[in-house]
Amino acid sequence: MNPAEHESMRAQLPLAAAGALQEHEWIAVLEHTAGCESCRRELEVWGSYATGLRHLPQPTIPAHLLGRTQRRVLHERESSLERRQYGLMVMALVLLSWATSFAAWFVTRSLVGVSLEVFGVNLVGALPWVLFSSILTWVTAGSAAVVLSNYRHTRRSV
Amino acid sequence: MNSDLPDVAEKTIAGLRRGDSGALEAVMTHYQHRLYRFLIRLTQDPATAEDLFQQTWLRVIEKIGRYDARRHFTPWLFSVARNLAIDYLRKHRESNLDVSPEQGVSPIERLAAAGADPLEQLLEFERGAMLAAAIAALPVIHREVLTLRFEEDMKLEQIAEISGVPLSTVKSRLLRGMESLRGRLQ
Repeated sequence: MNPAEHESMRAQLPLAAAGALQEHEWIAVLEHTAGCESCRRELEVWGSYATGLRHLPQPTIPAHLLGRTQRRVLHERESSLERRQYGLMVMALVLLSWATSFAAWFVTRSLVGVSLEVFGVNLVGALPWVLFSSILTWVTAGSAAVVLSNYRHTRRSV
Repeated sequence: MNSDLPDVAEKTIAGLRRGDSGALEAVMTHYQHRLYRFLIRLTQDPATAEDLFQQTWLRVIEKIGRYDARRHFTPWLFSVARNLAIDYLRKHRESNLDVSPEQGVSPIERLAAAGADPLEQLLEFERGAMLAAAIAALPVIHREVLTLRFEEDMKLEQIAEISGVPLSTVKSRLLRGMESLRGRLQ
């Protein structure tokens, strides 16, 4: 074998010891080391490193880590469920508020007719009513969110 | 098929998806030592490994819905842990992951400085501890590939999946890692 081939085989030895060669590469290394004493010894050295790496001292897992992790996961899961429930509640409040405004619009128009002017603004017109009811809806939803958040905060502190 | 968790694998994964705490406990118990060891090897700090261990399970619960059950669970779990650890290291310590951590004189250097043949010392004095110290001084990308290959006994394809790099890169990191390790022991 020429020196270039010898060097190429030698460069493969760490991977051979790590079991990271393909079958044909591994066979080529075995054939080479059978006839090359220095590479055979080198492969043994790499083999001892590989063995050492497979038997490193093992870290001790901290006591109660599993229990603490389980509690944290369960707590996080409950919080996430709670957040989703509160989100749905706020959404339901917003929808309810919209529905109430819409219903109130029909009722008001049936009672006062299609025009109720205050300071030159027709309060039962579609645009002013939508604006007014939007403000009312978002104030309601915002207040509900603040109340729920305070409730959660208080419950957590308890 | 999940050969990593024989018999109960698919049931357990389904349980995790349903939020079954028994399934969570079973998987956590099964992987606790391996996962903690992997995180310790990457971060070199028990407190950080502990925090990342917890974060890994939180992330697993969060992402289990998107886990493809046709893939092996172990590489997926380790890739979740690996990404968290790498993010942490990027933010807090090793901005360049292929650079060795700054350290003082390591036990290896002290022993090597004593003058005897490092390999003989390796065999005579706590070989494992010396190797572990030498690994600790390697760049994180080398620590990662060495621990996954030798301690986790993972195939190069699985390591590539976890690290998100091509197979050729895994091979070259493994080679460089082993050479660096030997270089540090000589």
